[in-house]
Amino acid sequence: MHPNADVLQGTLDLLILKAVSLEPMHGWGISQRIQQFSSGVLEVNQGSLYPALHRLVKRKWLDASWGTSENNRRARFYKLTAVGRRQLATETETWRRFSAGVEAVLAVHSAAN
Amino acid sequence: MTRMTRAFRWLRDRISRVSDKDIQDELRFHLSMEADKLERDGMSRELAVAEARRRFGGVDQHTEELRDVRGGRTMENLLQDARYAFRLVRRFPAFTAIVLLTLGISIGANTAIFSVVNATLLRPLTYPNGDRLAILYAQNPDKSLPRFSVSYADFLDWRARTRSFSGMAAGAGTAPTLISEGEPLRLTGQTVTSDYFDVLGVRPEHGRLFAGGDPATETASEIVITYAFWQRQLAGDPNVIGRRLRMGTGERTVVGVLPRSFDRDNPGVDVVTVFDPASIPNVDSHAQHMLGVIARLKPGVTQAAAQADLSAVAARLAEQFPDIAGWTANVFMARDEANRTLRSPLLVLLAAAGLVLLIGCINVVNLLLTRSTLREREVALRQALGAARSRLIGQLLVESAELALGGALLGLVVAHFVLQLIVRRAPTGLLPVDIGLDSKVLLFTLLLAVATTLIAGLWPAIAASTPRLAKALRDGGRSSSGGARALRARRTLVVAESSLALVLLVCAGLVIQSLRNILAVDLGFDPARVVTMRVNLSGPRYTDTTQVQFFRDLQARLEGRAGIEAFAAANTPPISLGGITTNLRLMGSARADGGQVMGPVTAVTPGYFRTMSIRLLRGRDVAWTDPKPTLVVSQAAANAYWPGESPIGKRIAFGRRDTVGLEVVGIVNDTRARGITANTPLMVYLSYAGAANIARSMSLVVRGRGDAAAIAATTKAAIREIDRTLPIYNVSPVTQVIDQSLGQSRLNTTLLTIFAVVALALAAVGIYGVISYSVTLRQQEIGVRMALGASSGNVLALVLREGGLLAIVGTLVGLVGAYFATGLVQSWLFGIGRADVTTIAGTACMLVAIALLASYLPARRASRVDPLVAMRGD
Repeated sequence: MHPNADVLQGTLDLLILKAVSLEPMHGWGISQRIQQFSSGVLEVNQGSLYPALHRLVKRKWLDASWGTSENNRRARFYKLTAVGRRQLATETETWRRFSAGVEAVLAVHSAAN
Repeated sequence: MTRMTRAFRWLRDRISRVSDKDIQDELRFHLSMEADKLERDGMSRELAVAEARRRFGGVDQHTEELRDVRGGRTMENLLQDARYAFRLVRRFPAFTAIVLLTLGISIGANTAIFSVVNATLLRPLTYPNGDRLAILYAQNPDKSLPRFSVSYADFLDWRARTRSFSGMAAGAGTAPTLISEGEPLRLTGQTVTSDYFDVLGVRPEHGRLFAGGDPATETASEIVITYAFWQRQLAGDPNVIGRRLRMGTGERTVVGVLPRSFDRDNPGVDVVTVFDPASIPNVDSHAQHMLGVIARLKPGVTQAAAQADLSAVAARLAEQFPDIAGWTANVFMARDEANRTLRSPLLVLLAAAGLVLLIGCINVVNLLLTRSTLREREVALRQALGAARSRLIGQLLVESAELALGGALLGLVVAHFVLQLIVRRAPTGLLPVDIGLDSKVLLFTLLLAVATTLIAGLWPAIAASTPRLAKALRDGGRSSSGGARALRARRTLVVAESSLALVLLVCAGLVIQSLRNILAVDLGFDPARVVTMRVNLSGPRYTDTTQVQFFRDLQARLEGRAGIEAFAAANTPPISLGGITTNLRLMGSARADGGQVMGPVTAVTPGYFRTMSIRLLRGRDVAWTDPKPTLVVSQAAANAYWPGESPIGKRIAFGRRDTVGLEVVGIVNDTRARGITANTPLMVYLSYAGAANIARSMSLVVRGRGDAAAIAATTKAAIREIDRTLPIYNVSPVTQVIDQSLGQSRLNTTLLTIFAVVALALAAVGIYGVISYSVTLRQQEIGVRMALGASSGNVLALVLREGGLLAIVGTLVGLVGAYFATGLVQSWLFGIGRADVTTIAGTACMLVAIALLASYLPARRASRVDPLVAMRGD
């Protein structure tokens, strides 16, 4: 939302976009999926998840609609939009370069040790 | 849920794409999924639900936060903020109470004064195109009397020769007697030229008004009555047209009833008759000043143009007729004249109330700033979650608006009571009877609330929403945010409000001292135990001679009656701005003006000076047995008219044709008979016998023992013995007449004093607040000082010095303001200069003393802290 929003927020956006890229999913599912994908390393706090979801909807990267969940409850499903898909690609690319950069720095650091 | 809330929610759901319910449903779904999962992992259902809730936090809180993210629409935000603000009110009850009280009092003061302004200055005249109506006056050569009455001869020439007016009419006040059911009743009347109502644009409610024609024959027996008189005296008789009224001067036929609106601009008038010039002695003389003249400006003609036109005409007349040499004329707009005595005091009071509101606003700013430090963490959190700054400012402004509206409501209650005070204490007839909180006043109050919101709310809102995220979160909410900078801002505010308070205090101090000076004035007579009442000796029964005989008779009857010490009569009541002012010729005068002077004359019966306890300095009183009317002059008149000479035996001529004049037989001490604050008049007392033809209405003065009612009753009984049909009116102890004449001064002083005291109290609260805040900020420093050996006395002095310094700086700034403000109350001052050192020093000391008092509480608190606790800074 703000250009100066911190890195973590950007990362969360990326994770969410990735999680819903396969199929439309509700908030709880998204949090579970991120946890599964990361083998439990990344745990998404609900306090950040829902603000992030609403933010992404507002940016039109996600589309939200009411549907029925696997256990027949009314749930709000999030779907990746075309804009969102392009954004996912860009963000993934950015992240890869960023993490590669960090990795490289760390490698130098270990070598120096 | 109330129906209202439901309606709001429905409305909001229509406006917004995502409703609160959607958000909550989504969060609840999340909760239940989480609980399901925990249950699958082996927890009991209850535990699972509880755990899910614990992990999640409050649904309401999340909903609130999500709303910030979503942005939403303005309307929705507004309702949202309003509800949130109400919750805050409950969270800070003391804060809310203080703010509401502050705003209530200061808005109330403004509303009260404005409702008086609204009912007087802002109210248009009821006549159609009333703003085109002018009142024309004569003005004497030295211009000391700019509103002198106009002679009939002048009026006729003005009407004939001016070009600026579409109509001009004249009238004079009368005091006719109505004989109804045997009881004589004195009425308030007007006698007017027959086109008077046409010029005003007044149409009759019933019947017709004057038709014109020859006043002596056609309309001599006609009378027009006012709506109020019709209702009150004639019980709204539907067949009133054609009804015959028995008046003291003969029977008259009611031809018309004036509309109700006429009463508003002419309160107290009962009846109107046609002016008959033939009934006036010496009516052809241009110097026979006696009429009030109204005129309607032609379309497009300005007051200045009309003035120029009339001045030119008056100048030619003054050249043509030596009687009125040097006389000029003035055009005043009727609308301005109606509120002449009220305008300046009302504007001053309105300004004073405005200052009180400004001080109140400053206090509210300070309170809001203090509270926003307490809420800093909340604001920071919302910002972290992505709430836009504009949204936060909006929310904080809505909170201020809620407080301001609450203050305005309370202000209406305060205004109601202040208004009651004003109406009760105002002298009779000063204010219209229908002052109240009408729609204009309500609108004004609402505008004040809006202005207050912006003045008091904007800065704290901007300050509170300034991103200081990291700091606030780091401090964990117990922050001392902004620290020194915020303190500096607040000190500036307190200095500002102290200076405003000083301005009001100085003005109030000067005005109070003036009132005390007025009350201490030597009147030159003794009003105690003197009762005055008025009689009007008109009608066929009275001639010049029988009038004089009436008073001589009455004096003889009252003499020796129980409780009566002395009795006399004069043509004006004691302390009266009115009265006769006329041309005098000091015969054989060596003065440069040849003895042609204009001065006040009072017609008195013998015994007047004794009754009023006016000392006879030389010579003797006028006497019933004088073969010709005689004169007594006041000390000031003697000195001015015959400097260095004895006035006894000198003669004064009245009118140009008088070659003999009347003889001065005595000198009395000066009095304040023409108003306490007016200059000592150069008074010439004329024996009543010489003025009976022009002074038909007389004020009796009776000095007695016992209470005023008994004195009045004895006197009335004696009058009834002589003439049963004579109406007796304006019965009042002279002390009360004096009180009435001071009523407006007293009221102005009371109001200004109240405002100044409120301002002082608000300033004290402000100083208390900022010193408390400063002490909190300096807690660690104070702890260190005490640990290093400072006594609690040292700490006390340290804090008191801060408060005293603020007040002193405020005082210095305020003195500059007072220099300008006292100019506005200069016309209220009496016997005191606007730069009176005692008053200014006194009020300044008072302000500083109050500031020290307000600083004392936080100072004592600071001096008693445990240094260890203070240093830890918790």
